Amino acid sequence: MSTAQAQQKICSEWNPVNKNEYKGIWVYVEYVNGVIKDGSLQLIGKARELASKINTDVTAIMVGNNLGDVVKEPIYYGADRVVYVDHPALSKYIPHVYANVIVQLANKYKPEIILFAATKRGRELAPYVANSLRTGITADCTELDVDPKTRDLDQVRPTYGGNILAHIRTPSRRPQLASVRPNVFPTPPRDTSRNGEIISETLDSIPSINGQGLVEERPVVKGEELPPVEKADIVVVAGRGVGGVDGVKLLTELARLLGGTIGGTKNVVDAGWLSADRQVGQTGKTIRPTLYIGIGVSGAIQHIFGMKESKIIVAINSDPNAPIFQYADYGVVGDYREVVKELIELLKSRKEP
Amino acid sequence: MHIKSNELGIIMGGLTIIVPVKAAVPNVTAVRLDPVTHNLVREGVPLMLNPYDRNALEFALRLKDKYGGKVITMSMAPPSGKDFLESTIGMGADEAYLITDRAFAGADTLATSYTVARSIQRLFPDFDLIVFGEETTDSTTAHMPAQVASWLNLPYVYYAVEAEAKLEDEVIRVTRYLEDEGVYETYEYKMPIIISVYKNSNPPRDLSLVRKINARVNGLVKVIDNNMLKLERECIGLRGSPTIVAKIEDAKPIERKRQLFKGDPKEAARWLLDNLTKEGVIRP
Repeated sequence: MSTAQAQQKICSEWNPVNKNEYKGIWVYVEYVNGVIKDGSLQLIGKARELASKINTDVTAIMVGNNLGDVVKEPIYYGADRVVYVDHPALSKYIPHVYANVIVQLANKYKPEIILFAATKRGRELAPYVANSLRTGITADCTELDVDPKTRDLDQVRPTYGGNILAHIRTPSRRPQLASVRPNVFPTPPRDTSRNGEIISETLDSIPSINGQGLVEERPVVKGEELPPVEKADIVVVAGRGVGGVDGVKLLTELARLLGGTIGGTKNVVDAGWLSADRQVGQTGKTIRPTLYIGIGVSGAIQHIFGMKESKIIVAINSDPNAPIFQYADYGVVGDYREVVKELIELLKSRKEP
Repeated sequence: MHIKSNELGIIMGGLTIIVPVKAAVPNVTAVRLDPVTHNLVREGVPLMLNPYDRNALEFALRLKDKYGGKVITMSMAPPSGKDFLESTIGMGADEAYLITDRAFAGADTLATSYTVARSIQRLFPDFDLIVFGEETTDSTTAHMPAQVASWLNLPYVYYAVEAEAKLEDEVIRVTRYLEDEGVYETYEYKMPIIISVYKNSNPPRDLSLVRKINARVNGLVKVIDNNMLKLERECIGLRGSPTIVAKIEDAKPIERKRQLFKGDPKEAARWLLDNLTKEGVIRP
């Protein structure tokens, strides 16, 4: 067998792919209670940009039951087309059922790229879809580009601790799949004057659940809480240097006075000083607030990846050599307790003239 | 499935739970990359059990404690992976399998999931559950549970915090925490299914050194290569991997002002608030 033949032989469980048959960029659009997730809207914006480079269009994919007017929203944010499946059997989110619906749509329409917001559900769905299409997928991309010649998606992802950026491609298979964490890209403006095509798609068969599926939903009872880290304009982040729960409490008071919220590094969450949904960094949330204040945060690269897009970065740390200062606009070297107490006093005196 | 009769016709109960685990690189910033493929060079690197796989193993062991049966760990890893598989026996796994072959090298997540899924089908066709950790600390993709579910065409649930079985109905109820929505969801499926365990959701039990040493002395970790599995060459390793690392580069930080203040805390606080007010990021 010649080398060329050997290279062409593919796994017998893969379908042969003619790349020219695959056209268009898809965004899987996730919504809850009639509201589309910010991460999905942000990907519509990015898809728009990529589509113009390879002269193709953007399609939003929606799956569920009684979708109503929400199917129009992706158009307002930049999609050319919405393809949705609305079926009573899809009234509850079941991971393998939803994933199989997306697979069926992809097999029918043959898009060249499918993007997923890496929400908790997106991270659950995307790898199943990719695998069922026997193609590659790159998780948590921080940048996406497209090669106009090959139409290959350039999927950039921090890897091996985050100090290296890997450019990943899927040169021989289609579609190409990638997920992107919410808030890596900005949300495009909503423009209700935009027009587009809205297609209701019916499927030959809805995949079976193989059991009762989702049988119970129990919201976590929350007290009076500060907003989630990915929603706030000002985020005060506690690092290991705050020493414990008392330190986190002090920082929470500062966050409250600033009208912001509290977050933490992986160390702080792993130590149990803050809940996991407040973790900022590569394995937590990506945030891009107007003001980030890192206190007792050393600045491990994995953390930096979750906050480096913030507009203004402030660091308070007793170690003048802490790496966080390299990424900060304003740094204060000193005992954080003293500095934070002074900040709290000053903010209180501003409020009570 | 979970109810089997042995040669004497005695019904044996319990769950057969497979826990696929990964050899993670402890210090990801100190690794070497292959200059040609840009893949991580794992040979000669000290390996540890991926921390979140310990949550998966604890989750599986609790089910075994409650319903009986056995917990089997497996890992696709270089030969040095034997040590951390012995640790899984030390934690309480009944059996451990090292899936190792040069032909598996260079696999992306599609080829890895293929190897894991087909190995499980061949070695443990009667499994009830496959329990994964949420993600690995060195690659953090969280792909494997969904990809293996796709190869095996099974239901799956991510972010699981607890599970209850109804053995007589072959049913499992899995509760998971969906952090984005702040909601606990309970799913009920016929077994077999695939579960991915929410990271840090349980305190993993201590390792018994006696059990681990026993595993080593008696060679309890079974080694399986592709001569035994006979997986198609085109589906595994580099050849079964549709993704390539086209290029790597150093991450460049955004230019920052990098103004530093050292001195009296009161002055520091005033300096900070003045600057932030000037920047327009806090209310005056």
